[in-house]
Amino acid sequence: MNIVIANGDHEASYIIDMFKSKENNLIVINSSEEIAMTLMERKHVAVTVGDPWLNSTLEAADIFEADLFVSLCKKDTDNFAACMTAKKIFKVKKCICVVQNPRNVDLYKKIGIDSVISSTYLLAANIKNESNADSLIKSLSLDDEKIVMIEAILSSKYIVCGHAIKDIGFPKFASIAYIVRNYNFLIPHGDVELREGDMLMIACAKENEKKVLDYLKREKRA
Amino acid sequence: MAIRNKTLIIGVGRLGIGIANRASSRGEDVIVIDPEPSALARLDDTFNGFKVAASATDLFALEHNCEVKTVMKAAIVTGDDNLNLFLAHLLSTVYEVPNIIVRFNDPDNGPLVKELPGVRTIYPFDLSLEKFGEIDNQGEDK
Repeated sequence: MNIVIANGDHEASYIIDMFKSKENNLIVINSSEEIAMTLMERKHVAVTVGDPWLNSTLEAADIFEADLFVSLCKKDTDNFAACMTAKKIFKVKKCICVVQNPRNVDLYKKIGIDSVISSTYLLAANIKNESNADSLIKSLSLDDEKIVMIEAILSSKYIVCGHAIKDIGFPKFASIAYIVRNYNFLIPHGDVELREGDMLMIACAKENEKKVLDYLKREKRA
Repeated sequence: MAIRNKTLIIGVGRLGIGIANRASSRGEDVIVIDPEPSALARLDDTFNGFKVAASATDLFALEHNCEVKTVMKAAIVTGDDNLNLFLAHLLSTVYEVPNIIVRFNDPDNGPLVKELPGVRTIYPFDLSLEKFGEIDNQGEDK
């Protein structure tokens, strides 16, 4: 894969370590001559010095038709410009950028950036997940938050516990992908009886997440 | 659906001030936005539009103070090409402003907004070169 890493300091260094291999060709660009020198000395990679949103820099770095462009500029609008130039002019297949303002995550995706990452956005999502009143249920969003994977550990107080899947009227808009019981994987089918401690991995659309959670969390009458 | 009848000027440098004063004197309903209050203070005393001291990347200010959904015409003339590029995409794609003029110092940015509906570009370099050619030709004719 041809991977372009544009700007960034420690982040660039970390990503270089992560992707440096025979299979990947890393193209590193940095606006700062000082950071470029450090990366060259410590990581033994060639670095093109220049602003990654300028045609002249991207041309010099020869990024045409690269597979991935990772933009790590400090300013959100610089990242936007760098990704747009890489995508529209240099036909890069996929562009990812970081943003400082978490509100820009959805906005930048809407106006053309393939993938947008904000540490604050991720932190908030994690806090929301970890602060879930029922710590036995966690969820992970996939594919731009269209799909949700729900990880639920069954408690004996849940209605579904102690019943076969075919008897619990499991919602049609969700699917149990697999069950983990005592460190073993079980392929779910109608006859599998759900037990206390089972970890269910459930896939559903984002809009149905709450309905699935409400269904799972129904408790047995005392 | 809101009626679009406002003119929005983003960035109040020399060009922004000129556009805002001209639009205001024509009787247009003008809103100017710039994060620097001192820049807004440079507008003519006769300017009777609305001034917003905020960054145009602040969507709350854009939606609530600038009423961007009622904007018919926008001029994006900050000194930052990357900001102008982002705002052109934002105003065209998200807020569907029908007429947008964006100023770029670097003509390489032109192709990045080419496909956006209603967006037209101006480049000081090209305009200066054109004017230079005109004056130069006049000199030769004399």
